[in-house]
Amino acid sequence: MSGAPSGHPAAASAKRPQYSARLSAFILLTPALLLCSVFIFIPAVLAIAGSFFTFGITSRAWEPAGFSNYTKAFADPIFWTALKNNMIIVLGSITFQIGIGTILAAILDRGLPRSATVFRTIIFAPMVVSAVAVALIWQVILDPNVGALNAIIKSVGLSPPQLGWLGDPTISIWIVLMIACWQYTGFMMVLILAGLQGIPKELYEAASLDGARGLKAFRHITLPSIRNVLLVAVLITTIGGFKVFDLIYATTQGGPANATQVLGTYIYLQAFNLGNMGYANAISVVLLCIAVLLGWLQLKSSRRA
Amino acid sequence: MQRDVRTRLVGAAMAGLMALGAVLPSAVAAQEDVTIRMWALTNPNYPEFIAQAAEAFKATHPNVTIDFQETPNEAYKTAIQVALVGSEPPDVFFNWAGEDSARLVRDGLVLDITDLANEPGQFGTTLSPSWISTFSVNGRIFGAPTDAVTKYFYYDNAFFADNGLTAPTTFNELLGLCTAIRAIDPEIVPIPLGNSERWKMNHYITLMNERVMGNDALRADYSLTAADDALFTNPGYVTAWEKVLEMQSAGCFQDAPNATSPEVSRTMFSSGVSPMIFCGSWCMSIFDGEGYTDYSLFRFPPVEGGASDGNSNMVVPQGLQVAAATQHPKEAVEWISFLTSPEQAAKFAEMRGALPSDPSMLGGITATDQFKWVAADMASLAVQFNVIDVEVEASVANAYLDAGVEILNGTMTPEQAMESIRAAALAAKAAMQ
Amino acid sequence: MPNFTRAKVLMYGFVSLWSLFVMLPLLWMVLASFKTKRELFMDPLGLPGNWDTGAWGRAWDVGMGRFILNSVLVTGASVAVIIVVSGMAAYVLARSDNRWLRLVYLLIVAGFAVPVQAVLVPLYQMISGAGMLNSLGAIVLPYAAYGIPFTTVLFYAFFLDFPKELEEAARLDGCSRIRTFFMVILPLSGPAVASAAIFQAVFIWNEFVLALLMLNNPDIKTLPVGIIALGGEFTSDWPAIMAGLSIAILPILAIFVMAQKYFVRSLAGLGK
Repeated sequence: MSGAPSGHPAAASAKRPQYSARLSAFILLTPALLLCSVFIFIPAVLAIAGSFFTFGITSRAWEPAGFSNYTKAFADPIFWTALKNNMIIVLGSITFQIGIGTILAAILDRGLPRSATVFRTIIFAPMVVSAVAVALIWQVILDPNVGALNAIIKSVGLSPPQLGWLGDPTISIWIVLMIACWQYTGFMMVLILAGLQGIPKELYEAASLDGARGLKAFRHITLPSIRNVLLVAVLITTIGGFKVFDLIYATTQGGPANATQVLGTYIYLQAFNLGNMGYANAISVVLLCIAVLLGWLQLKSSRRA
Repeated sequence: MQRDVRTRLVGAAMAGLMALGAVLPSAVAAQEDVTIRMWALTNPNYPEFIAQAAEAFKATHPNVTIDFQETPNEAYKTAIQVALVGSEPPDVFFNWAGEDSARLVRDGLVLDITDLANEPGQFGTTLSPSWISTFSVNGRIFGAPTDAVTKYFYYDNAFFADNGLTAPTTFNELLGLCTAIRAIDPEIVPIPLGNSERWKMNHYITLMNERVMGNDALRADYSLTAADDALFTNPGYVTAWEKVLEMQSAGCFQDAPNATSPEVSRTMFSSGVSPMIFCGSWCMSIFDGEGYTDYSLFRFPPVEGGASDGNSNMVVPQGLQVAAATQHPKEAVEWISFLTSPEQAAKFAEMRGALPSDPSMLGGITATDQFKWVAADMASLAVQFNVIDVEVEASVANAYLDAGVEILNGTMTPEQAMESIRAAALAAKAAMQ
Repeated sequence: MPNFTRAKVLMYGFVSLWSLFVMLPLLWMVLASFKTKRELFMDPLGLPGNWDTGAWGRAWDVGMGRFILNSVLVTGASVAVIIVVSGMAAYVLARSDNRWLRLVYLLIVAGFAVPVQAVLVPLYQMISGAGMLNSLGAIVLPYAAYGIPFTTVLFYAFFLDFPKELEEAARLDGCSRIRTFFMVILPLSGPAVASAAIFQAVFIWNEFVLALLMLNNPDIKTLPVGIIALGGEFTSDWPAIMAGLSIAILPILAIFVMAQKYFVRSLAGLGK
């Protein structure tokens, strides 16, 4: 089925290859460009345009606002809290998900190859669970009155945080980060594991003759060999960290009192709960700029690699 | 001018979209007879009530089908706004009276149904004028109230009897009750508070403001009509928050109210873990459904030295409105009138456990003693007022909701809370002009 | 030797600990669905007293079956569109030195950086304006669009390494470029297709924001939106919520465990 049918009457198309090549290139490219334009680029342009107006979700009048939505954002402490929380999630995810993922992958690859499949399956499993479901499960486990975690902590004689895991503004964002790690570390591990399995065994043997084993071999052979894989992992984690929405919407809705607000949830709050569409658009444009900038940096660094 | 640009951009985008849309079949079937799309808040037994009503409505309107959808609380507030400006708005939808419905009216999304409602036999001629006024703007009718929700303290009869406790008549007695319960067993949370969605504290502060300052003193601030230098400056606002803190230090609440969901706090009461709860009138049907019936209720007591005598309560009328975009305004109004007719209203009260728009309908129905007590108590109120977050502008409401969280967490003092609320109010007032 | 064993114990310890951390919440969810509400409340750590399955029935009656079916349809349709559309584009782009086409490639790549939330408002207005709310198309097409940039990049890299001899043979046989793509290139791109399909399927299966806004009709809701509705439906009936979550999670978990080798290998292809 995969072979080209040779007896096909194709003489006509063979006579005008130039025209045919252009036309078919156009035909092949059109669907992708059309879909991306309609659902990504045009809405992005509309968001940018909307950020210069004041309007509500249910109001029909657009009032020109100049740059006031932007100056409002830069003076809004919650906007900065949200941005800071995004940074915490991005940096925390890179540190913990990729860090722990690398350690787990290295152990499974070199240390325990025989039980790797079982562990890999278990650790990857949360990745296929919807973030909304993840949030609901953790919400009940972390509940300060009836939750399993507090029961465990109390049973060993410790005292859980008084304001609750998700109620204490100083720790709630870290708890959300922990839940994100619970879900995505397995994914990072699998990515990195694949990179590790691509490293020729001879490299390790040669290094071992030179006296480099264990951690030393990990630093001098393993890490440099999986540099590209790590870059992809950082890209996925960073963009994911700026896009985060579901998990926070379903666990804390940005609370307590905006302590876990991120740009994604703050856009949603401003647009759909408070009806400040223009302001929400301005924050969207900031998020857009960050994401484009990151994508561009990533593209540059991966080319150099 | 600016609208032109936007219209053109959206238009271009839509043209592309429709070209794409033609490829995939729409999942919504073509309608032949009249279908009334109705949206409401998720509530126990409400779908069953609507199902039987839709069946009975067929007797007079054989061509009308009711397409009913329900959405849970937080999601509903967003979904309804989004749907009303979208391409498939519901014909009839649930809403709370107050700022929520007033804004939709201002934005021209709600149909003025004054004339249709005043046709013979329609709800405008059967419901009491004071009830209808809850959904009226400048004398025009923009909806029909179906019921009202209010808040009471619930308490466990057996626990109170065993420990010789009685319902308090003043705020200080309420505090004393918390202390007494903690003295019986420090592990018992007297009044669990589930503020993870922020509205529970908002109900407390709504009542506390009224108890301290009286309803009349609040109007100018809530409607943002007070002068700039007077807006939310009444020291009573700070006192009201201090009263919340007094409850907290008397041990009324549990440690982590902001991490506790309303459901958890409610279940702490209905499973006998806690002897009291401050809960909506809708909680009765939830507790009854869970098989927990040994409770009594009392009203939020008056505060010593406060301006209110306590013969007042927070009452939130809720009802049904018709979307401006509806194709079937006549059928929509007839459906609403049918739902608020004496026969259906009695069924509504019986099935849903809701307090219907006309308390006189409660005579003949089977109801629990508690339900009858609440209905009688509501009828005896001298003053009724709405909850803050539907009374004030959205950003002020948000500031109030956040302040409640911060006060309970101890990250804001009452003075700081009022500063942030005043700032939000000033900004909102400036934006309105 | 003792050194070696200690290292082994340490490694087993670390991996086991993380596995336990991952497993316990899921295990707890399943156990909780068999408890009574009171048991769940009073003794969150204990085993269910008499394995009550009533909660599963209550959860199923909300329409979990319907939600799963919708999610399968939406995911299947979106992934199919993504694979074909991105594959076609990547093929043209990988086989061309044209400067304009390089620009087109960069444009598509830039699309990867646009977060859905950033364009939620206009996207909603457009889809609503086109009368597509509450239709599968309302989310299949945007899902497809947001999957295209990443998948195009993935295919682009794959096609650069693709042996050109086969295409030459097909062209000499008189196949047009479009025919060549569908008859030769796509069938031989199994690994890349699998990687892209699984990666996108996981994201689309779990997507929440667009589905929340675009799909209000219960007949058309996908699983994540249906799960949120569970909370509203049962208020404090946690056993039913946990049973609903189990119904939502266990089938896909079972599929994953059965196909995990293939699954993991395909996803691992992303990093190459």
